[in-house]
Amino acid sequence: MIYFKDVSKHYDTQTALRKVTFFVEKGEMAFITGPSGSGKSTLLKLIYLAEKPDEGNITVSDWEVNKIRESHIPALRRSIGVIFQDFMLLDNRNVFENVALALRIRGVDEKEVKPKVFEALKIVNLRHKSDCYPCALSGGEQQRVSIARAIVSEPIIILADEPTGNVDPDTSAGIIRTFKDINARGATILIATHNRELFRNTAKRVLKLDFGNLVGEEIG
Amino acid sequence: MGLSYSFKLAARSIWHEKWINLLSVMTIMAGLLITSVTILAVYNMDAATRKLPEKFSIMAYLSDNLPHQQVENLIDTVEKENIVDKVRYIPKDQALKDLKSTLKDTAYVLDGLGENPLPDAIEVKLKNSAMGPDTVQKFAQRLQAISGVAEVEYGERFLSSIYSLRTGMQAIGIVFIMLLSLGTVFVCYSTVKILFYRKRKEIETYKLLGATKSFIRAPFIIEGAVIGLAAGFLGLIGVLSLYYFVILQLRLTFPLFKILIFPVNMSFILPTAGFVLGIIGAVIAIGRIKY
Repeated sequence: MIYFKDVSKHYDTQTALRKVTFFVEKGEMAFITGPSGSGKSTLLKLIYLAEKPDEGNITVSDWEVNKIRESHIPALRRSIGVIFQDFMLLDNRNVFENVALALRIRGVDEKEVKPKVFEALKIVNLRHKSDCYPCALSGGEQQRVSIARAIVSEPIIILADEPTGNVDPDTSAGIIRTFKDINARGATILIATHNRELFRNTAKRVLKLDFGNLVGEEIG
Repeated sequence: MGLSYSFKLAARSIWHEKWINLLSVMTIMAGLLITSVTILAVYNMDAATRKLPEKFSIMAYLSDNLPHQQVENLIDTVEKENIVDKVRYIPKDQALKDLKSTLKDTAYVLDGLGENPLPDAIEVKLKNSAMGPDTVQKFAQRLQAISGVAEVEYGERFLSSIYSLRTGMQAIGIVFIMLLSLGTVFVCYSTVKILFYRKRKEIETYKLLGATKSFIRAPFIIEGAVIGLAAGFLGLIGVLSLYYFVILQLRLTFPLFKILIFPVNMSFILPTAGFVLGIIGAVIAIGRIKY
């Protein structure tokens, strides 16, 4: 489903990733861990093509990311649900509209939008905040809106960049349970986190990054 | 993507950015209004010169005592010319009678004349398509060369002045229309560019969520089209007001303004022009979307 082969990425003089090779199978849920600046976010950005690799090959689903035509990038991105580290919520839209955007971009029939959005908001326990604007929400709530937006379209791949960075331990555990449920329905999930508590006892594969190098893997 | 969602986004943006949009509409409206006045001037000048052939004629004065047969041959020769519409023979007696009726109360000045001093003449009317100063001049030269024609007379200066004015007005009109069209495109471009810049975070989110280029572009293009269309309608209201309240009032005082007409087509052209120019401006402003 996601295959990295000798992938390197440099920013000016700094190396974000160096010859990284790994494979995430279809339907697998895996974690990427490492300290801040180890290249976790860059790795995720390479998957949804917010960044392009300098070396190596990346395959996501049926797309060879290195060779993908620009016109196919939106389709690749629509097959992925991303939980961004900075949420990327639209300040001038309420929670409902923010989540619904993912469906509207996918051309989902307007009649289906409302039930799907409310279902996603129910999963992240924000059904009651659908009319609120992001500025009226706490960091954790904004993060959950971002999760709802990522899962609402039931994508085949979900990428999460520090999805529990702003939430308390209970909510954090709830979010991981949500990911497990979605994973159980067949979605491939890759979560970048520096929080070791998140993958402890999950029995999922954990890829370790350090200064851009993939230094090993373990079972959480 | 539902187009209705794009319309919804455009409507929201038009409302949220109402002041900058209103300013753009007013600026474009002013441009279209000036363009319309120019078009109106060129149109009326053109219409006036198109009516010219009805009044315009060339007089060919004939030599004295030409035999009747030669006069008929001469008329035949002139009638065969492609550019000639009508030829009328005016015998000297008829010319004198016409002159007396023109002079009315002062016709007695002709009583002292023993013999009729006026020559026989032919009056030539030309076809509309031939009414250029060069064509008329060449025809006059051919007419002059015909045996039996003593002198040819036509309003050479008047004709060339009218045509110079018409050509000049057309040229000025074209330049004005082009400049103001560019201005309109530029205003739409600037408006959409500013909106595009202000919404760059939103657009970036759209792109990362997998929005197609048309999904991103559509609301901006709709917005540009609405701004242009609104300006076009307001421009039309402006030019109609100018025509009905100013020119119709001026007609009462200055009869010259009676010849001014308002082309009906303008009612369609102005909003359409605003609409199209608005879209062009928006398309240029958005430019190429890169992922």
